[in-house]
Amino acid sequence: MKFGLKLAAALVVGIALGLFATWATVIYGAGPNALSDGPWQTSLATGSAKSGPYTRAKVAMHGLLALNRSETIYYTAYTDSSGAPLDGACAYDVVGHDPDARWWSITAYGTDDFLIPNPVDRYSISKNSVLRAADGTFSATVGSAAHVQNWIPTARAPFSLTLRLYNPGASVQFEPGNASLPVIVKDGCT
Amino acid sequence: MSARAWAGWIALTLLVAALVHAGSLYALPYVVMNRTFSILGDRNTMHHMAQADANARKVVRPSPDLLYSACPYDLSKGPLEIRATIPHDTYWSVSAFDDDTNNWYVLDDRRTNRNKLDLVVQAPDSDHEVAATEHRLVVTSPSRHGLILIRTLINDEDRFDQIDRTRRLATCGAYVPSE
Repeated sequence: MKFGLKLAAALVVGIALGLFATWATVIYGAGPNALSDGPWQTSLATGSAKSGPYTRAKVAMHGLLALNRSETIYYTAYTDSSGAPLDGACAYDVVGHDPDARWWSITAYGTDDFLIPNPVDRYSISKNSVLRAADGTFSATVGSAAHVQNWIPTARAPFSLTLRLYNPGASVQFEPGNASLPVIVKDGCT
Repeated sequence: MSARAWAGWIALTLLVAALVHAGSLYALPYVVMNRTFSILGDRNTMHHMAQADANARKVVRPSPDLLYSACPYDLSKGPLEIRATIPHDTYWSVSAFDDDTNNWYVLDDRRTNRNKLDLVVQAPDSDHEVAATEHRLVVTSPSRHGLILIRTLINDEDRFDQIDRTRRLATCGAYVPSE
């Protein structure tokens, strides 16, 4: 093979490999400073000038304009509490009590990172809107089958949930990996 | 081709891959931020976005419970001034992002007693620094280009019109020194 062809092949393969590595790490990589609390994942460096290139790239693609952790902590779940990927063909119970924050919400997003179209134009539950039991706990249903109350609709497709904690309490802010967060339990699939 | 020659070509391929990976990783936030600036509209102007629903496609993972007002800025012609009414009966914050996605400033309703926001943003290499006063906050952006984002929580759907009216009072424009 001529030298020029070999050089071109090395460049093309190298560029493809480099771009694939960026795509793979941004889409699938947990990134440094990432931690989990059950199915909920967060990064300590989101929004911070101290965040590294991997965190910045992930934030740019999946959480642009995120506030830093002193103001807001964002947790995202791609799986239920057993580790199985979230899928709108199934129904899930999100069960817990109010997290330690001034205000919180749980919102469903499609794989394109945008809100999921649904017939009732509902996308989230929040501290203001959730209905609680007498003991203060709540149970919300996430899935494509309609429910009357505490329902976060999805399509019959993979999705993710984002839990936002605005003005997080000290217990969450300083130990985000040990916060008492809702569990996500699969109820069944159709 | 000899084994040594193969090793050389493989090393070159891996070197190119590493450089492209590092370059694209560092460039990605700038590319996404600049694309966002363009999508939002004119620079140094406050854009009051509609409550997010499934049709909202400008910024990923929007919250449907917040109202967003955004001002993409360019400080190359001078400082920028943001004025807003601060509600104290719901969550409200003003935040600033540089062109590398970093959230370099945030002020929320609990961290201030003010009812009105007067915030001047100046460039890192500004010739004439604007002085802060009792009523005016002055901050320095780490980059000439960036974004101001005001979030207002819809904490009561019945009060939506009032909350929306108040947040739409926010403005963003060139700072003009008073006489």
